[in-house]
Amino acid sequence: MDTLFVSFVVILAGGVMALLLARRFNLMKLVTVAVMSCGCGIGLVKSLSLLLSQAPTAEKSWAWLHFFELTFKVDSIALFFLIPLFAVPPLALFYSLQYMADQQKRVRVAVNYFFFAILVASMALVVMAANMITFALAWEIMSLSSFFLVVFDYQVKANRQAGYLYFIFAQAGAMFLFAAFALLYSHTASFDFAAFASVPEKAKLLIFLIAFIGFGSKAGIFPLHIWLPKAHPAAPSHISAIMSGVMIKMGIYGIFRIYLLLDAATPIIGQVVLVTGMITGVLGVVYALAKQDIKQLLAYSSVENIGIILIGLGIGMVGVSEQNQAMAFFGFAGAMLHLFNHSIFKSLLFMGAGAVLHQAKTKNIDQLGGLMKRMPITGRTFLAGSVAISGLPPFCGFIGEFLIYYGAFHGINNQRFSFILAILAIVSLAVIGGLATACFTKVVGLAFLGEPRTEQAARATEAAWGMGLVMIVMAAACLVMGVVPEPFIRLAFAGIRDVGFTAGYDTQAFLAVVRQLSQAILIFLALLALVSLLRKVLYRGKEIGSGSTWGCGFTQPTVRMQYTGTSYAAEIIDFYRPFVPVRRLYSGISRIFPGKTTWETGVDDVAEINYMQRLIKPLLQFLNSLRWIQHGNIQLYIAYIIVAIIVLLLFL
Amino acid sequence: MESILSLCFAILIAPLLPAVIQKVKAFFAGKQGPPLLINYYTMIKLFRKGSVYSTSTSFVFRMGPVVGCVTSLMMLLFFPLAGIKPLFSFHGDVLILFYLMGLGRFFTILAALDTASPFEGMGAAREAFFSTLAEATVFGILILFFRITGSLSFAEFFSGRHVISLSSEHGALLLLVIVALYIVMLTENSRVPVDDPATHLELTMIHEVMILDHSGPDLALIELGAWFKLLFYSAFLSMLIEPFHLESALLNSLLFYAVVCFIYITIGMVESITARYKMNMVPKFVLTPFALVFFVTILTMELVK
Repeated sequence: MDTLFVSFVVILAGGVMALLLARRFNLMKLVTVAVMSCGCGIGLVKSLSLLLSQAPTAEKSWAWLHFFELTFKVDSIALFFLIPLFAVPPLALFYSLQYMADQQKRVRVAVNYFFFAILVASMALVVMAANMITFALAWEIMSLSSFFLVVFDYQVKANRQAGYLYFIFAQAGAMFLFAAFALLYSHTASFDFAAFASVPEKAKLLIFLIAFIGFGSKAGIFPLHIWLPKAHPAAPSHISAIMSGVMIKMGIYGIFRIYLLLDAATPIIGQVVLVTGMITGVLGVVYALAKQDIKQLLAYSSVENIGIILIGLGIGMVGVSEQNQAMAFFGFAGAMLHLFNHSIFKSLLFMGAGAVLHQAKTKNIDQLGGLMKRMPITGRTFLAGSVAISGLPPFCGFIGEFLIYYGAFHGINNQRFSFILAILAIVSLAVIGGLATACFTKVVGLAFLGEPRTEQAARATEAAWGMGLVMIVMAAACLVMGVVPEPFIRLAFAGIRDVGFTAGYDTQAFLAVVRQLSQAILIFLALLALVSLLRKVLYRGKEIGSGSTWGCGFTQPTVRMQYTGTSYAAEIIDFYRPFVPVRRLYSGISRIFPGKTTWETGVDDVAEINYMQRLIKPLLQFLNSLRWIQHGNIQLYIAYIIVAIIVLLLFL
Repeated sequence: MESILSLCFAILIAPLLPAVIQKVKAFFAGKQGPPLLINYYTMIKLFRKGSVYSTSTSFVFRMGPVVGCVTSLMMLLFFPLAGIKPLFSFHGDVLILFYLMGLGRFFTILAALDTASPFEGMGAAREAFFSTLAEATVFGILILFFRITGSLSFAEFFSGRHVISLSSEHGALLLLVIVALYIVMLTENSRVPVDDPATHLELTMIHEVMILDHSGPDLALIELGAWFKLLFYSAFLSMLIEPFHLESALLNSLLFYAVVCFIYITIGMVESITARYKMNMVPKFVLTPFALVFFVTILTMELVK
């Protein structure tokens, strides 16, 4: 366990070095990235070996401020969360070497690296924390450091606003967490996590729900997700990759951890998590489909994947309350594996989006097109990531979903309500899968294929080699994990080793299925190779012509006639209309000789609209009526303080 | 050995059966119709040709037909045609197979979008939409079958202790499933009333418009894939419909292919006597089987313990 702390120190040292070397731009980047990657490497090796060696849970604590104690503990779940946490940052850092190329902003870049280091270390501390004080401390450091990462381009007003929105959601979420902790403390009179189980049954549900809201605002469950589609486009792409790939998973970690610690008997917890997961998943992907900004789309797709992970966790929890060991086991394991997979392919996609933004200077799908030929590496790796995130074999996304399906199908033989829940979970997974296919064919098909829709898209060239290399590595990882899934499934199984209820579940039969699954994928790949070969043979010595696309008789096609992202998604969006309001602005035609006419459509987030109307507006009105308190008169302010002290001293 | 023979036969006969549909349609129209072997001739003709590629396209366009064809072929590899043990099978194969179909769709859509043609984009958008709706029904059916047989594999659906068959104790439930699966078949294979393969206007097509730019062997692969897919769905249906299990594998196969033929004939009849729905009616039509399957699954709460 000490090795893990060494790795934190190395990572933080890397961050501090960035500040010290800020004047020498390239040297600073190289040194920082090398040192931090080294730290992550140490952490990764150590946590992997601890996880695989079946080491028992280790604990460590220090006294802090004489009164509190900082306690850290690693069990298998913590170790499993540490793996993506240490694996993704080095890749993102390597990518940032060429992504953060602006010499003018060197101080800012250095500060960015510094907060990056703090973010990674604090996330690791969140995972290892074993009492409330430690957890809250690490959680707050994580939220604050990521806030500074989001507002990297603070001169742009929209980015500042996105940052503030994130800040509000992070702090409001933390407030809920503290409320839950306070309730816990009032029952147990101890900061220690281990004491949670002794809370009376009645209080457990309430505590869980409050904590669920708190963690959910970090994870991005519907309707607490609205900061994601704002913050991700604002942040630099490698930061989005880390935040979406790793940081929002801390919310999932919190939900899972508090569920295990409370060990509540009520079935409502599992049902709430499962239903939230379904809503989050389906609406997340529908909104993703509706967005034309690639990074916004990816942010909504993160919401969708959080939904899938929650479905997995929910299946597991329902399995526990139904005493169905197989269902619980595969639900939890599927959630873990999908979480791991998502951290890889989502980072890959964000990096691809970053490369597109860097080269084509726009991230609007309706202005892109034809990038596959101009950016072959980015295009191909993005395609791989898209197949993976749609949950399609032979890439890794399928494997996680396969486990969740497996768990859900084991719930089919339950009775009554949990049977219905299992059905709904399976159907919503299928619908999410179908919609994700639609969503990512849209991105790949419209941004990367076809003809460029604008001049700047036509002028785009391939991104720098280092960025391409990172994306190739990640795409290859997605493929390997999809074709040879067994080691990774074993890893996920090792990750849930310390979950009491599922411990000792016999996995041999399932691992045999996994081997056959990977065989089936190999058969598919072999057939694919065979048919491609056949195709080659059929085309040998033939005349291959080239011409323009058949326009069904129309001879003057232009690139503007292509289908756009908006038109591609229109029909599906229309189907989900009550939940996805479409805004249409039409200037109309009023005179005989009409002037400039405009037509604009867009999709607003139903959660955002409701916050605006039901929360923000009444709140602002109320606060406006209290404005007289702030008058700028210093004597009266002093009077406020005196009155407050008197009231506190005398009456409390 | 039996499995290999059965698979080879299925692959060979797949192009023949759609000609039956054309014959039926011709009969209804009072015409003679093309010869039964028409699809083999088409195949040979297409294989001999070269291709013209649009300058807009990339490697994805060339990958589309290959992936589409192979994913459909995979279905036949894992399906117990005529109750004969398939070449491969394992617990959970239905999940990966239907997801492979999704992969085929993914690349077909991408190949269509790769041409930069507005018509193909339109077809792709519709395909993406309707298939998400059909997917829910397919998984509904899988849930029901898991409830009855406790299995997630095509081979185990139709063999073992709890067999899915009209003559079993759950036969009544299957009637609704058959209707649902029939509608899914029409949707997934772009048949009337969802899509009209013989329509004359690109704006009203779904599948046909997506492959406008493919030619030569590429087009042949797409056609092959489509025939395999249709054969898979009708084989699935006929395994549900056919209640008998004879001792002799040969007789069994004969009966099985007779039922398959019958299903193709009904497709031809449906196409002759109905028109394609208006586009905005299609989602409702595609959702109908989901309602049916969901209803049936709820029924099992009491029937299957």
